[in-house]
Amino acid sequence: MNSRERVFAMLEGRPVDSLPVMPITMMFAADQIGAKYFAYTTDYHIMAEAQIRTAEEFDFDLVSAIAETREAPDCGATVEYFDNHPASIVEAQALLADKKTLAKLKVPDPLGGGRMHDRVKGIALLKQRACRERIVEGWMEGPCGAAADLRGINALMTDFYDDPVFVRDLFDFVFEVGMLFARAQVEAGADVIGIGDPAASLVGPKLYQDFVWPYEKKMVDGLHALGARARLHICGNTRRILHDMGRLGCDHVDIDSMVPMEEAREKMGPAQVLLGSLDPVRDLRNGTPQSVYSAVGECHRQAGSRYIVGAGCEVPRDTPAANVNAMVRYARQNHAGAREKLSH
Amino acid sequence: MTRFEELQQAIIDGKAPVAKELTDKMLKEGIRPGEFFPKAIIPAMDEVGRRMRECEFFIPEVLIAARAARASSDILRPLLVGADAMASAGTVVCGTVKGDLHDIGKNIVAMMLESAGFKIIDLGVDVTAEKIVDAVRTNQAGLVALSALLTTTMVNMKSVVEALSAAGLRDKVKIMVGGAPVTDAWAHSIGADGYGKDAPAAVELARQLATA
Repeated sequence: MNSRERVFAMLEGRPVDSLPVMPITMMFAADQIGAKYFAYTTDYHIMAEAQIRTAEEFDFDLVSAIAETREAPDCGATVEYFDNHPASIVEAQALLADKKTLAKLKVPDPLGGGRMHDRVKGIALLKQRACRERIVEGWMEGPCGAAADLRGINALMTDFYDDPVFVRDLFDFVFEVGMLFARAQVEAGADVIGIGDPAASLVGPKLYQDFVWPYEKKMVDGLHALGARARLHICGNTRRILHDMGRLGCDHVDIDSMVPMEEAREKMGPAQVLLGSLDPVRDLRNGTPQSVYSAVGECHRQAGSRYIVGAGCEVPRDTPAANVNAMVRYARQNHAGAREKLSH
Repeated sequence: MTRFEELQQAIIDGKAPVAKELTDKMLKEGIRPGEFFPKAIIPAMDEVGRRMRECEFFIPEVLIAARAARASSDILRPLLVGADAMASAGTVVCGTVKGDLHDIGKNIVAMMLESAGFKIIDLGVDVTAEKIVDAVRTNQAGLVALSALLTTTMVNMKSVVEALSAAGLRDKVKIMVGGAPVTDAWAHSIGADGYGKDAPAAVELARQLATA
């Protein structure tokens, strides 16, 4: 099986020759080709080169255009760039510091020459260079994350109680921006779109159900209507919202290290394909090849056969290559049913 | 329900206008400003911390509770004189280190420390070691609380420890660190005095360090 066949087989519940490997890499990938992260995130040629060389070097099953938000700067949010690590929203100058600004915001064109367009072009290049072998992954911000980027995370968190009507209006806006962006990425060749919604782990189950889940659900359904697969990535502690995350219909869901894999499996049911939940820093970066191999095995044991290998969040940039290789070695030496057979 | 219990409840429920109104009313009734912290604000925020640890409260609930606590304490602080003023738990200089713009975790720790009776000098995000040294010196702070959310910026915590040492202030302050990639082992390796895994743990740690 090549990578594409392996990943699609896993997502569709068919037998695989080994576990798929789909870790998130950004700074780690930039470092592989000696590029500064600023160049990686602002020049899609560099991103594509780094992703392809990293996937080839470590035998990953995907190349991914994931990076920081592209939607927010194109909407007009102030972003601070750093020489060699990810850009950040400048919350002190939040675009929607005044909530009335929302009514004046225009939905940006993802092909209008801005930051979103850079990613779309990157996907087209990844597709051109990697399409026969590997999965091409695009990325969009989830409703909570995208709203936080425009409003400011601190303000959004209290808006849930102070002004729920505004929150829904804002979620409507970011949904529209996100889906246009997703469509452009799918049309450029993305097989999978990751929905990154880290801020969703900051709200409890009630706010998640009332506000966030309906929009994440619309995004997942919208991606499926576009013919793409949907990956959900909510970093942080999602233990109280696992059950609802499992009802979104995602093709696979990332589980961060604060969540025991067996709990995710129990709450999300046997059919959900899960990825994780290796601790990126403590297990992957700070571990040894032997401990990484065992830690992935333990995640696999807890997750069962419907499992993709990856860390709970981004592979840290200074992770030893030997540790990443150990993670992949586990995947290649273990097909999906191997653990169950061993345990009988 | 006593007045103090009413105020506690208003804070836990995140009702800032109620907390403010109650505080005014209680002051008019002759309750001493210094009584509010030990009898209402600190126990209320301890309960908020407990609920956060137990996953009954999440970030929005903690933020509105802290806002309600601040609505009360903002009225009280200017009125704290003499023995009441001396009862402050200590001064904490806090900030997210250079190169890192993440602030919600730092803000929650700052608000919870404030509600626990500490005076907070919040330097914000992307803070240089020099700025922290200056703030420690100017405010005679006994504690420094540093946040970093990236593996690439947590190294700047070490620069802060070194800068405090170079400035001759290291033995006058305790340094606590936190943030997603930060570990207890990291705290020790850079010569910090402790690691708080979440906001309630940070408050507990600050109390221990302040009395150590």
